[in-house]
Amino acid sequence: MTQAEIKLCSLLLQEHFGEIVEKIGVHLIRTGSQPLRVIAHDTGTSLDQVKKALCVLVQHNLVSYQVHKRGVVEYEAQCSRVLRMLRYPRYIYTTKTLYSDTGELIVEELLLNGKLTMSAVVKKVADRLTETMEDGKTMDYAEVSNTFVRLADTHFVQRCPSVPTTENSDPGPPPPAPALVINEKDMYLVPKLSLIGKGKRRRSSDEDAAGEPKAKRPKHTTDNKEPIPDDGIYWQANLDRFHQHFRDQAIVSAVANRMDQTSSEIVRTMLRMSEITTSSSAPFTQPLSSNEIFRSLPVGYNISKQVLDQYLTLLADDPLEFVGKSGDSGGGMYVINLHKALASLATATLESVVQERFGSRCARIFRLVLQKKHLEQKQVEDFAMIPAKEAKDMLYKMLSENFISLQEIPKTPDHAPSRTFYLYTVNILAAARMLLHRCYKSIANLIERRQFETKENKRLLEKSQRVEAIIASMQATGAEEAQLQEIEEMITAPERQQLETLKRNVNKLDASEIQVDETIFLLESYIECTMKRL
Amino acid sequence: MAGNKGRGRAAYTFNIEAVGFSKGEKLPDVVLKPPPLFPDTDYKPVPLKTGEGEEYMLALKQELRETMKRMPYFIETPEERQDIERYSKRYMKVYKEEWIPDWRRLPREMMPRNKCKKGPKPKKAKDAGKGTSLTNTADVLKKIEELEKRGDGEKSDEENEEKEGSKEKSKEGEDDDDDDAAEQEEYDEEDQEEENDYINSYFEDGDDFGADSDDNMDEATY
Repeated sequence: MTQAEIKLCSLLLQEHFGEIVEKIGVHLIRTGSQPLRVIAHDTGTSLDQVKKALCVLVQHNLVSYQVHKRGVVEYEAQCSRVLRMLRYPRYIYTTKTLYSDTGELIVEELLLNGKLTMSAVVKKVADRLTETMEDGKTMDYAEVSNTFVRLADTHFVQRCPSVPTTENSDPGPPPPAPALVINEKDMYLVPKLSLIGKGKRRRSSDEDAAGEPKAKRPKHTTDNKEPIPDDGIYWQANLDRFHQHFRDQAIVSAVANRMDQTSSEIVRTMLRMSEITTSSSAPFTQPLSSNEIFRSLPVGYNISKQVLDQYLTLLADDPLEFVGKSGDSGGGMYVINLHKALASLATATLESVVQERFGSRCARIFRLVLQKKHLEQKQVEDFAMIPAKEAKDMLYKMLSENFISLQEIPKTPDHAPSRTFYLYTVNILAAARMLLHRCYKSIANLIERRQFETKENKRLLEKSQRVEAIIASMQATGAEEAQLQEIEEMITAPERQQLETLKRNVNKLDASEIQVDETIFLLESYIECTMKRL
Repeated sequence: MAGNKGRGRAAYTFNIEAVGFSKGEKLPDVVLKPPPLFPDTDYKPVPLKTGEGEEYMLALKQELRETMKRMPYFIETPEERQDIERYSKRYMKVYKEEWIPDWRRLPREMMPRNKCKKGPKPKKAKDAGKGTSLTNTADVLKKIEELEKRGDGEKSDEENEEKEGSKEKSKEGEDDDDDDAAEQEEYDEEDQEEENDYINSYFEDGDDFGADSDDNMDEATY
């Protein structure tokens, strides 16, 4: 893993799980697969803490273990999975748009806890929804279960590999670590549970009546005394499915930008039809006939068959080649070229970066070299119609930032420089990798800056929190306007100004992180699909 | 051997025209220092995207950050002892739910060893492989030390603990780390109690202590 990725992983782990887990996690990412003792020895932490940290990491699917020879268990960290933590808000928001609040909370609980049983998820989500509802209303478990089943059917949540059930007559000692297996068929199989109940509202009056601090309350409520029906069946969020959805979204919006709304709707329909039938890494979807597409168009769309055919022909002839025609049966068989689409999106990202960094003339040269594949210095000047000096300057600027590379073609076997052609070319894969690396660095910088800003103003933030708490408690007990005013004035005007600035900056930094993550997603998908093809 | 080393004047080994400089032209200056850390950019970045989705995701992100800190998975670093114990800290502690992982899904070595941490384990040395006779001698010495520190009341506890301890010492020596942690905790408590030289039981508050009226505060006390 590159230094930039390791730094970003370290920042993410620290923010979400604390320093001890971060130390162990980063050590594992750096050094690869290691057994427990070596981790404790190399990081200098006590065995107890290493165990706790590893339990947390395994629970969240960030670290996996394997039994090696002589019974030694080795732990390995998945760096790419750690980087997914940046994308949690996007996953949750997507579920909200598809399955509304219930689905959103289900996915949120699964992401926050790593893995959970279905009954645990349903209970937690019902409780949370009940809190937000009006007094007297509660959320029924059945409704939450239904949403869960729908999520499992569309593959947004999947079962975790489970402990194999061994027969009781198994001789010998149990293995040092369970070998978790999962059957392909069972991955989305929802266990038959009859979850009956309603969400419970956490009543503040009960806590006061108990008269003890929360820590002394028994850790297990009476509900847990009953045997859990789906014990051992854990569910996790299926990130690949979400990525597939994001990719489809990107393609649809690209088509909408390039052509019009109707064609984007057609493409969306085609993608929806191939959601479950096509695997996420396939180069193109299954061929769909024009008749099928016509039948599956959303109800509101009243376009005739001929118009649909015309649109499909237009899409297939487009130079971007998002849609391809693979046959003539059934009114024309059409596929969506997923890999080509991702390549176009990655290229568009590169072009846009060049334009924003170096100007539109540089972007023109870049697009030119992209189109013509290999060009000499002189040819670049001629084709781009830019004066020689400036063209040279721009080419060198892009060369130094590794957007463009040089290809040497020797005329003689001794590679003498005076007798060699030097051609400028764009290697999209290499440039995408370089850009991805820069994205990781920039997110790490954004996070560090945000932490710095928050730390600088820590005192002020704490003060404002205290004042808010005081105001809230006074309002609860019914205070006059004048008193509230007085409390509010504890924060002076310049301090208020400072708080406003801080809030604005932190929001900006957070929003930037989310947007850079979108670019990261595109570039990573492109690199992944290209590597699979090679 | 190849070619002249340039008598007086350097000659380019390649066609300078190909790279775009005309012959005899002044080449740009050589850069002698690393580029500036925050260079000025000619083109400012494009403003961020705004919209309902983006705002929702922003709020979600900040909320998730706060929630994660309160989850049981967030392991806090044990804080070093502060100079002044702040009164408010006792009441601002966040009580977290305990999380117990599903031990069936984890390697067996992850389970914490169930040992009583009350009595100090008599061994700090890591020579678990040596014979039991040596350990017993070391045990006795250590035990005497411990007894001096702790006082007589807890002697019986220790005897019991120590017997269990020597039995388990023949297993792997990884318990040492747990022991050290346990011992440190105990020592800390002792230190806390013994911060001052005064033994608490010696001083008894008189009935009048603190109950004296403060009416005559204007008078100086001698």
